[in-house]
Amino acid sequence: MKKIAIAFVLTLLVTGMSIAQVDRSKLPVAGPAPEIKIGEAESFTLANGLKVFVVKNDKLPRVSFTLVLERDPIMEGDKAGLLGLVGQMMMAGTENRTKDQLDEEIDFIGASLSAGSTSIFASSLKKHQDKVLELMADVLYNPKFPQEELDKLKKQTLTGLATSKDEPNAISGRLSSALVYGKDHPYGEVETEETVSNVEISDVKAYYETFFKPNIAYLAIVGDMDKAEAEKVVTKYFAKWEKGEVPKFTYKKPAPAAQNQVGLVDRSSSVQTVIDIAQPIDLTLGDADYISSRVLNQIFGGGSSSRLFMNLREDKGYTYGAYSSFSADKLVGEFSASASVRNEVTDSAVYEFIYEINKLAKDGVTEEELAQAKANLAGSFGRSLESPSTIANFALNTERYNLPKDYYATYLQKMNALTVEDINKTAKKLVDPTKLHITAVGNATEIKDKLAQFGEVKMYDNMGFPAKEMKMADANLTAESVVENYLKAIGGKANAQGVKTAKMNLEANVMGNPLGIAIVYDAENSAYGQKTSIMGNVMQATKIKDGKAEISAQGQKMELSGAQLEEAMINVYLFPEAWYQEKGFTITLDGLKDVEGTPAYKVIFASAGGAKLVNYYSEETGLKIKNENPASGDTFYSDYQEKEGVLLPMLWTIKSPMIPVPLEAKVTSLEINPVLGETDF
Amino acid sequence: MMRKITALGLVLGLLSVPVLAQKKIDYKEFDLDNGLHVIMHQDNTTPIVITSVLYHVGSKNEQPDRTGFAHFFEHLMFEGSPNIERGQYMNIIQSRGGTLNAFTSNDITYYYELLPSNELELALYMESERMLQSKVDQTGVETQREVVKEEKRQSYDNRPYGSILIETLKRAYTVHPYNWAPIGSLDDLNAASIEEFQQFYKDFYVPNNATLTIAGDLDYAQTEKWVRQYFAEIPKGTKEIYRPSVVEPKKTTEIRDIIYDNIQIPAVIQAYNLPKRTDADSYALSMLSTYLTGGNSSLMTKELVDKQQKALALAAIPLELEDGGIFIMYGITNMGVEPKDLETEVDKLIKQVQDQGISDQDFAKLQNIIENNLVSGNSSMAGIAQNLAESHVIFGDTEYINKEMEMYSKVTKADLQRVAKKYLDLNGRVVLYYLPKSAQPTE
Repeated sequence: MKKIAIAFVLTLLVTGMSIAQVDRSKLPVAGPAPEIKIGEAESFTLANGLKVFVVKNDKLPRVSFTLVLERDPIMEGDKAGLLGLVGQMMMAGTENRTKDQLDEEIDFIGASLSAGSTSIFASSLKKHQDKVLELMADVLYNPKFPQEELDKLKKQTLTGLATSKDEPNAISGRLSSALVYGKDHPYGEVETEETVSNVEISDVKAYYETFFKPNIAYLAIVGDMDKAEAEKVVTKYFAKWEKGEVPKFTYKKPAPAAQNQVGLVDRSSSVQTVIDIAQPIDLTLGDADYISSRVLNQIFGGGSSSRLFMNLREDKGYTYGAYSSFSADKLVGEFSASASVRNEVTDSAVYEFIYEINKLAKDGVTEEELAQAKANLAGSFGRSLESPSTIANFALNTERYNLPKDYYATYLQKMNALTVEDINKTAKKLVDPTKLHITAVGNATEIKDKLAQFGEVKMYDNMGFPAKEMKMADANLTAESVVENYLKAIGGKANAQGVKTAKMNLEANVMGNPLGIAIVYDAENSAYGQKTSIMGNVMQATKIKDGKAEISAQGQKMELSGAQLEEAMINVYLFPEAWYQEKGFTITLDGLKDVEGTPAYKVIFASAGGAKLVNYYSEETGLKIKNENPASGDTFYSDYQEKEGVLLPMLWTIKSPMIPVPLEAKVTSLEINPVLGETDF
Repeated sequence: MMRKITALGLVLGLLSVPVLAQKKIDYKEFDLDNGLHVIMHQDNTTPIVITSVLYHVGSKNEQPDRTGFAHFFEHLMFEGSPNIERGQYMNIIQSRGGTLNAFTSNDITYYYELLPSNELELALYMESERMLQSKVDQTGVETQREVVKEEKRQSYDNRPYGSILIETLKRAYTVHPYNWAPIGSLDDLNAASIEEFQQFYKDFYVPNNATLTIAGDLDYAQTEKWVRQYFAEIPKGTKEIYRPSVVEPKKTTEIRDIIYDNIQIPAVIQAYNLPKRTDADSYALSMLSTYLTGGNSSLMTKELVDKQQKALALAAIPLELEDGGIFIMYGITNMGVEPKDLETEVDKLIKQVQDQGISDQDFAKLQNIIENNLVSGNSSMAGIAQNLAESHVIFGDTEYINKEMEMYSKVTKADLQRVAKKYLDLNGRVVLYYLPKSAQPTE
């Protein structure tokens, strides 16, 4: 009984104590900082020059082998795209194994094996290490480079390239690389359809034979293997690898811009602008400024508590995220700050970017920011050590960048010793607010003029080349005369106005499925009907009649009102050019533009209600070659044929963000002036 | 030729005694009086520690007119407490050098913080605040509603094929609450009152519905002391926790539909209902999915992606759920290939497995792949913590973490053919075609 009582009192005490101990109003303080032990890598070198690092970690019965080639960057020139194909070609079969056999043997032991233009990676369970090394060595020594595999890969690359031509982030990447490094630099050149098509088997072979040499290679072994065993297996599989002369290349260091300047790619269908502000910097791993540049970036734009994010997203709400980077590279590094923002706030966002860049270079950072950034970076440094491959990377970097042996062992110490002054010095050295390339990919009509305040605006195409200079031969040309020329070209205004009603069927093919579009026009009554069907089922229909517009899709109907109705009403005419005066539209000429290589006049029709219709007319033929619509996509008109005294395009090519490849719709039937009944709409 | 066969025979011979040995994970566990289950795993290799709490609540615990609640809480639970200012939860963890995240499934909601090991007390404090007195108020609900709206737009509405799970679940379940996906309905979230959110917190965010797991550079005694200090005072829930008991009936007819999406290339989806996650057949089904699409040499990838080039990609994924998930297969067609054409070829291969089973060579390969995956699965503290917690909650035994390999070892070659016949029933499945939205017509 007494025992129980004591126990009871003790329990009370214990629980009582623990409650008393917790003061929930204060955050628990950190315990003494744990010692961060960085595992050592052991190394040895084979007679052929292959340098090997071994990081033993037997927590799990696994082992991985990473082979890396250290060569100078390569200008690919008219074969740009070659490097991207080498790795998969290495994996496409060997003298001993077809691709099927290779795939099967890798999977059979549950292993991974992959290759790139400067690497081969293999990993497996410990017990399968001999097999995976045998496969790795076979890929390294005996790749077969079959022609049919190259054809397949080139086709895939071209498909990817076609998609990337309209992808705003890809366009932005190409543009800023072209501006920061220049097209004559390995980091600035671009691959095109032409250069990819130029790649031959002999190029892949020549590359392989030149660069896969042990004297420029490192092999990192991580996992359940010690140095003694590593020496044995590496000798067995890699000692016979023959060394060879590997060419070296040097490049001129890219110069920063003379002054701030704006590079703009017009992507007329954009609703967002991709902004990237960049300049080349002199920074490589191991530089005196390297560690402080990591801290600097963390404060400026490295994460969701950094300045750019707090200003452009949290405070202004311009974007989903704004970030920066200071990339380090032996040849040349890059400072970059970027975000995707709504069209309307493009100039405001650039203004804020420039403001932050100026402030960083001029006023530097605060003690509080520095402390936070250090904690953040120290945390991620510590977490990264959980993966044994981090240790291998450290060893590789120490060798490749010729770092002091204790560079990583004392990394945190060096970082924690950094002062506000150190960071500010680095900021001043790396960031020059007066020599920035400000790049933007977006709707030029809406943003071009507003960007002029930041520097001279130069136009580029979607591959990063300067856009074709478009200058109107006759500066006094008006929208009226462009429209007049067009009407003349198709057969005269009277003939165009003579087309009171029309019925048209178009047919296209979407991924093997027939898609039909049926359209009816009634110009005098401002009425219009359109039905789109796939495999005979009506998918979507639009009906505009008696001042009302209704859209139905998959059983749902929606009546348009306000701005949407206005927008619909201005789009109902087959020949808006013949009716614009009667319908009270105003027209303006917005210069000569490049429409896929054809110079064309851009004319904007505006209704009294503020809706807009944008058409492009060929400078040469006067014909309408493009209709632009940010909401539903752009339509390109071609194959003009004469029907009842007017020229009409028989091929409509529709490009929209909603569809993967341009949709080619052919006119299959056309009736001019039919009598239209209720069922036609 | 002869030599090759002999070599192959040798390899097979060597591997036919499957040494599916798993590295044992050690741990300690205890319960608090309020029902909180605590699991600790010590590994001092790296000075980091992960702290996680698994709440046994997912979208299946929601009411049909209040879907999306469980996932919504995953957001709401970062709003803070009387001691943690709104919006500071993440900043506190990050400024101490940590990282954190959370996810919600049909069955569970999982939170974790990964910190330097000298910040373990902080992590325990933060999680205990969340369990004891998380802020569930109007401001938080309104803020997070906007965030979830953006998330839905980004991850489901705007992402190509983003609605596959939603559309498939909707048809694969008629009576079970797996009928809806964790993202749920924004209308339901809009319609819910603040009291309903507060009630959900009281019902499900209680220690007796939670499992706390700590793994990494820790001291067992000190950790237990801190756990008691911060979690013992949290009151036990008073209500019985709602868990649906309804059983989904077996389908006898095929459900077929077309979804028009903002996609570039058509896709074919097939889904088959699975047994409970703890059913012994789960292991064979998981191996079957690897046989069909795991790796370049797998049956469907080799035949339909590489050889016939009918598909750009193919995947068979068993979505394993407590009350029985779905075996979901999707194939993205290659240029110019009709979905019907791809579907026919996929069905042919399924029939082939059902009729002929698989070869000894392929079975040995599967065992090797599974072994590699299981060994690699426990390579990080984060992975170990989650596996420990799920072993306890879903399999009812933390020791399950050390038994998984054994369960796989029991699967025979014949089992694979048997489960292919039993579960991949062409007459009781869901088939969806994803097609591009028709080109927006020009006016």
